[in-house]
Amino acid sequence: MTTTQASTFLIVLSLAVSACGPRPGHVLTFSGSVVGREGDVIRRQLDRFRLANPSIVVVLRVTPDAADQRHQLYVQWLNARSSEPDVLQLDVAWTAEFAAAGWISRLDRFQPPVDEFFAAAIAADRWNGTLYALPWFIDAGLLYWRTDLAPQAPRDVDALVRLAKRAQRERRIPFGLVWQGARYEGLVTVFVEFLGAFGGSILDERGHVVVDSDAAQKALTFMRDTIYVDDIVPPAVLTWQEEQTRFAFQNGEAVFMRNWPYAYALLQDRAQSSVAGRFAVMSMPAAPGGTPTAALGGAALAINAHSDQPEDAYRLVEFLLQPSQMIERARIVGQYPSRQALYENGALDGALEIQPTEALRIIEHAVPRPVTPVYAQLSEILQVSLHRALTRQQEPHAALGEAATAMRALLARVRLSPECHEGRAC
Amino acid sequence: MKDAPARFWRGNESRVAWALAMPALGAVVILAVFPILWTVWESLHLHDLRMPWLGRPFVGGANYIEALGDQRFRSALAHTGVFVAITLALEITAGLMLAMALERVSRGRGLVRTAVLLPWAVPTVVAALIWRYIFESPAGLASALATLAGVTPPTWFADSLAAWIPLMLADAWKTTPFVALLLLAGLQNIDSALYEAAVMDGAGPGRQFVHVTLPLLRPTLFVTVLFRGLDAFRVFDVVYVMTGGGPGTATEPIALYTFNATLQNLRFGFGSALSVIVFTVAFCGALAAIRLFGADTFGERPA
Repeated sequence: MTTTQASTFLIVLSLAVSACGPRPGHVLTFSGSVVGREGDVIRRQLDRFRLANPSIVVVLRVTPDAADQRHQLYVQWLNARSSEPDVLQLDVAWTAEFAAAGWISRLDRFQPPVDEFFAAAIAADRWNGTLYALPWFIDAGLLYWRTDLAPQAPRDVDALVRLAKRAQRERRIPFGLVWQGARYEGLVTVFVEFLGAFGGSILDERGHVVVDSDAAQKALTFMRDTIYVDDIVPPAVLTWQEEQTRFAFQNGEAVFMRNWPYAYALLQDRAQSSVAGRFAVMSMPAAPGGTPTAALGGAALAINAHSDQPEDAYRLVEFLLQPSQMIERARIVGQYPSRQALYENGALDGALEIQPTEALRIIEHAVPRPVTPVYAQLSEILQVSLHRALTRQQEPHAALGEAATAMRALLARVRLSPECHEGRAC
Repeated sequence: MKDAPARFWRGNESRVAWALAMPALGAVVILAVFPILWTVWESLHLHDLRMPWLGRPFVGGANYIEALGDQRFRSALAHTGVFVAITLALEITAGLMLAMALERVSRGRGLVRTAVLLPWAVPTVVAALIWRYIFESPAGLASALATLAGVTPPTWFADSLAAWIPLMLADAWKTTPFVALLLLAGLQNIDSALYEAAVMDGAGPGRQFVHVTLPLLRPTLFVTVLFRGLDAFRVFDVVYVMTGGGPGTATEPIALYTFNATLQNLRFGFGSALSVIVFTVAFCGALAAIRLFGADTFGERPA
């Protein structure tokens, strides 16, 4: 359905409601991803919400599939203070931006049960200590590995390189490891994982830029060397996104692959995959001194700050976050629920492709990307610098130094650097 | 009273002309002058759609100062200059050879000319995608050919220099037919009697080319260069589809950087400043070219 169709539908609906409905003008709009089976699930769940709340008319507002385009549309709508959509599906990395712009409501007054959700996901939904969204489902970066090519899971990154090399040499596998190396958001999530593995981070707890630390330089140098020194990563990954890495792995061309959970079901599909039943997943292993780290992805639900019916909007949010709705999503779309208890009380048994306890272990290593309203801009600076270093246009220390300088300048320009909050000149 | 309008129209032809031109002038003002002035006004403000808490204050030349101090912007300008120079040289050379060959074709003329024009009719995005496939994978056509020739192919789009090759080839492949068509029209305007005279004077093909073809083709060549140069200066789609400006920002032209600042980062003030700079550079470039080389094209025509 196009936007025009949707809005026509909306007008007809609101007329119908004002004519005979229980409360005039009560149309609640929801907007989020309806790609593939996600669309079936959300339509079914909205139907159920209507049955349970006959006084609220809820309408699905369809938005573009591509996250970038949805983001752009949201920015245009919310900038114009549109009261619709009332409830929005946000990517984890957008919450702070929308919160700082005053586009989404504070949720603390509804007293949501924040302790029931994963702490890392809740952290990504807070800005300046206030809660602005609630986590809906979780994505976490995984290391896929071939159980028939590597005798055991690698304990650390050095073991990963060793195992990859050995399988390449002895089993004639073309690639040891593949990851997403094109210049886009995916590259930053890969970097976040290696960065954590070497004990670094992009911003520290107080918000200072530390992406030029020794640990970060080691992480980036390691990534570069896997391409040009160890020869386990093909230079072609520098143009690859998720799907190209999945194709290489499912054709049996790679020993290890960094990817998201979505690939699991596809790799198990014998019709297209030659590695079904011959792989397992784990978190990206750490280097000595670091922590195994998974980039946190996924989506949250938020309420438009200019919504005419925030109470009803919150009822919808609450409804979609019910354990039963989440389990349905997990079973049909394969998205990991954001409630920790579901993994521990057996509620998810058989719903996910992997054991709930295994999923829990991976999610426990998940760290959010920097939570800041200018995340998109920071990410772009980093994408360019990382790609320059990985294509050998710059040395890692020079690239990261430049990125850190640009990030600090940006934070100061938009008056978000920690110095501004600490009351010093900035 | 009755003949006053008639006298008005008869008495002042230029007023009639103005009145008739008004709608067109109005359209130009609304569609060209007003947007340009608005962009200039916008470029003097801080206007960051993603950071509404900063407001929309007047900042004078701050956006321009930031742009001129921005290494990525200066590189983008340089990339654009190199791209214009090389693709223009390629396209004019190949286009001229193609035009001269086409002029000689006597049988199936219409068919041959249509066939030659085909690449130009392919939408740029489609053409760029095809060229990307040729160069993209290590098993692609370009890498296979390089291997056959005994050269180790680079990973084209991950190499800051090699990435230019597919870009420029794609642009030249796409645009050469158009250049050839323009030059062919110019060639056909040259009186064949001049060639006959040259032959009588004992001039071989080389001297005919230098002393007859080139001088008489000069106006057409100039228009073609100006047209294509301005077009190449705004290059966007080929790069957007093939390299996205990468690796890093090694192939990022000015139009892509402006798009990125304005529509990706939603920095309308800064993006407008970039647009104004680009507009000024292109405008001055075109003006200088016309002054220097185009006097006989745009000024007094030789009788």
